[in-house]
Formats: sequence, C-alpha cells, structure tokens
Amino acid sequence: MDRQVMLETARNMVATIDELPTIPAVATQVLQLLNSPDVVVDEVADLMLTDQVMTARVMKMVNSPVYRPTQEITSLKRALIYLGLRHIKEVALTSSFIHAFEDKGGVLEVRPCWEHAFGVGMVAKVIAEKIHYADLEKAYIAGIIHDIGEVVLSYYRSREFAEVLATTIQHPVKLIDAEAERFGTTHAEIGYCIAEKWNFPEAYREAILFHHDPLAATSDPVLCSIINLADLFCTVRGLNYGGRSWVSFNLAEEAAWKILKGQSPSLAQLDVERFCYELDDAVPDVQELVSSIFSKA
Amino acid sequence: MPISDKDFELLRDFIYNLCGMYFHSTKKYFLESRLTKRMEATGSKTAMDYYALLKSPSGGEELRFLLDEVTTNETYFFRCVPQLNAIETKFLPEIVESKGKMGFRKLRIWSAASSSGEEAYTLAMMLLEKRATLLKDWIIEIVGTDINETVVAQAKEGVYNAYSVRNVPDFYKRKYFKEEGGRFILSPEVKKFVTFNKLNLYDDTKMVFMKSFDFIFCANVLIYFDLAAKSKVVQHFYNNLQPYGYFFVGQSESLHGVNDKFKTVHFPGGFGYKK
Repeated sequence: MDRQVMLETARNMVATIDELPTIPAVATQVLQLLNSPDVVVDEVADLMLTDQVMTARVMKMVNSPVYRPTQEITSLKRALIYLGLRHIKEVALTSSFIHAFEDKGGVLEVRPCWEHAFGVGMVAKVIAEKIHYADLEKAYIAGIIHDIGEVVLSYYRSREFAEVLATTIQHPVKLIDAEAERFGTTHAEIGYCIAEKWNFPEAYREAILFHHDPLAATSDPVLCSIINLADLFCTVRGLNYGGRSWVSFNLAEEAAWKILKGQSPSLAQLDVERFCYELDDAVPDVQELVSSIFSKA
Repeated sequence: MPISDKDFELLRDFIYNLCGMYFHSTKKYFLESRLTKRMEATGSKTAMDYYALLKSPSGGEELRFLLDEVTTNETYFFRCVPQLNAIETKFLPEIVESKGKMGFRKLRIWSAASSSGEEAYTLAMMLLEKRATLLKDWIIEIVGTDINETVVAQAKEGVYNAYSVRNVPDFYKRKYFKEEGGRFILSPEVKKFVTFNKLNLYDDTKMVFMKSFDFIFCANVLIYFDLAAKSKVVQHFYNNLQPYGYFFVGQSESLHGVNDKFKTVHFPGGFGYKK
C-alpha cells in the first residue's frame, strides 16, 4: 500500500478524533528548560513540583528496579540528581504519555501496553549501547512512544480494533498487516500524525513511522532499526501486549539487523540466545515498574 | 541453602559458558536446592567452595552430576508449549507449502534425544490431528533415538505414569491414552508413526545416515558435551536438516559459539535454528 495514501488516511482519522489527549503543559516547559544550556537541577525540580502527578510518577519510576537505586529516594531533587539531567527528559516525557492516555479504557489493557512500551524502551537502550549509538536516551524515549498509534486505535477505534486483534490471535498475522487491511492505514502512520500534532522532533516522528520498516527511514535509519529490533525481541519474549501480538522472525534476514551490523560490525558476535534469556529475566522488572507507576498509592 | 545473587550469577555464567544452559533468575530457588544437594554430596561448605571444585581439574565429573540434577533427567508430554504452538501455526504450514509445491508429500521428524519417547509421541499426536486437513495424504515419519537402550525400550512400549502425561490436554488424553491402574497406555495409532532406535550422536558412521529431516529436536543433551564434541554433533544436525527445516534445542539452551551457520528464528516464548 502506498505510504502517502496511508498517511493521508491516518491524518483524516486523527482529525476526526475529538478531545485528542494533550501533553501536560508542565512537561512541555520542562523539556524547554532542559534544552537551555545553563539549566540547573533546582529550577527543573521547582517546575516539576508544580505538577503533583508528575512528581509522584517520577518518584515511583526512580525507585523502580529498572533504575535500581541503592536506597529509596524520597525527594524529587534527589531523584533528579540521581537520574541526571539527561534522564530527566526521559521520565518527564514518559510521565506525560502516561498522563495523556490514562483512564481512557481501550481494547488493549493499560498495563500490557505500557509493559510493551517500557520493555521496548529498555531493550532499545541496551541495543543502542551495544552498537555505540550516540544518544541512549533518545533510543529509550523512541522505544516508549513507538506504538502510540496503537494506543490511539485501541481507544478511538475500539470496536474495529478488537476485530483486528481477534484475527491476529487466530492466525499468525502481523498486527500491522491486519491493520492495513482493516483501516487502510496502520498504527505507524497514526502515531506519526499524533507526534506531528504534539510537535515532536523529527527523529522521534520518523522512529514512530518507520519502526516496522527501517529501510524507508531517511533521517535516522539506525534509530528506526534499534526500535524495530527492540520491538521484535520484546514481542517474542513476553512483552507482547499480554499475548495479543504475534510475531516470528529470522534475525539474519531482518533489515534492521543488517543496518545495525553495518553500523557496528561487532554486533554480529552478539550472543542472541543469552540476550533473549536476559530479556526474560528483565520482564518482571518492567512489570514491576509499570505496576508501581499505575498503583494509586 | 540460600546463595547470594552474586554467587548465583557467578555459577550461572560458569554453567552457561561451559554448557550453554542459562538459568533464569526465576530459577534461582531451583538451582539453589539442586546445588545444595551437590554441595552436601561433595562436602562443600559454601557456594564458592563448590564453584572452586567445579573449576578444578576434576570439576568435569562433578559438572555432569550437577547437570543431571538440574536437568532432572525427566521428560514429559507437551513439554515445550511455545515451540509446539510455533510449529503448529507457522513452521509446519510453511514447510508443507514449500514441499507441497515440489510435490513431495513426506514429513520427517527426528527426536534426537528421545529418552522414553514423550517428545516424539507428542509430535506424532499433534500431526495426527492434521491428517484430515493440512497433512492429508502426507507420509509422516518420526524417528526417536537415544544412546540408552533401556529408555529406547520404554519408548517402544509406550506406557507412562501420571507425571509424564500431566501436561497433556484433555482432548489428547481422552483420544490417545487408555488409563489402566494409574498407568497411561498410548494408542497404537500414535505408536505406528514413530520408530525408536539406539544411536550415539557422536558416532559419525551412523549420523551420516540420518538424512533429510524437516524438524530435528535435541534437548538437554548437548550441554553434556565439550565445545569440540558439540560443534561436531551440531554440524551433523545441520547436514541432516532440509534447507527449509528447523532445529530445536532445550528451552534454556544456547548454541552461541558452537555453530555459526545456523540462524536464530524467534517466535513467542522461544527460538529455533534454521539454515
């Protein structure tokens, strides 16, 4: 299917959605502040504290097994110092996404969605590290947001999306192919349109659009490949929307794998088997993180 | 005896690097209990004493005892469900399509460490269910081999205890087993698709005759071999596999560094190898 046509279909679909979620104003301000060269932690902390929900989430995230502090961190400022300025952007953005889509009640359950999102973020960061990608934080964020279009479909096209999900459970069909058939567009294009509306930087928009087709990427194919592989690995190792997403792949034939090996030839030596087993070990950590973020306490 | 996370990771890495078997963190308790047995048997006071013993010149023998403990030397029907699901939904239809196009309607499967036959018979039952549909008019050949004659004889007999059949879905249990005094007797209908033979995987003269398989399974055996032996045996499997065939090892095993020709093929809950 022609991508321009699919993008147009996605744009029309997004345009018909009333009350599209917005990113909290504080998050936008935090991101702007973090971009200024002489930013100090105190300023960021003061700004974040004006949003209690965001503050609570940051505290939960920083105390989760994914970040592993040696002792519990109890103040926001300490949390920000612990995370470092670079990581504040990660948690601020992540917190905003959760906020934007909270309590909407879609076809996909909230927790498996976020487990997949955080899983892909985490694995993307690990892969990025292995290939010496310059910006690990970018890989992490792109991982978290890559399926934002899926969430939109789940909330705003729930009836049709439930039918699509049912076909992928009965047959080994990739979700993206089933979506293309049903909607004439996919979560990749829809996610791109949302990212456009939210004024996301080009690299993130592209990662959302091409995370199933890294060869089509022009601005940062390496990032798209990282997200593509992280997505594939998470889907086969238990972070698969609670079993609602089916995929099978021959790693050597994946375009993303070839792109990343071109970028960093030592990747060919990766112990893929152990990588999978270690990912299994990390699944409970991801689940715990998501569970702590969504607990009301 | 509880072992620290650090000691667990050390032992896990040691076992993985030497045998290609990975212990998931969720298996820490299990490894702990098995290690405790071996530590008592060898008079090791701490996990580190035992680790030192494994690394010593006489460690090879002890490692075999440990592997016996951790693999529990047991097998049961429908052991690796993710693998069976992937075969049923994806790999089998794919192979049937490519072979069917060539007009070659024969499927060959090898359970290369068949023990008392559970794996081979599980596959036989699964394929039997497809005789009216996907595998209509297909010839099915399933071969089970093991080095141990006693288990080969057991496999041929096809009588199992409740533990072996605990994972068998009710539908299959009713259809293919007859229960008699707590024993489960496998239907001759299933047995006739499978032949069992004694085979040493290390015997080159015999291995070269195991030809043209579409699926080969070899779980929890390669972990006992050193790298050279492993490479040799895996190369045989590679040669014995059809170009579109699949090779599977045990659920926590790895062939990394053993054979660089096989490619990993991933599916929900596991992976296999392809040429």
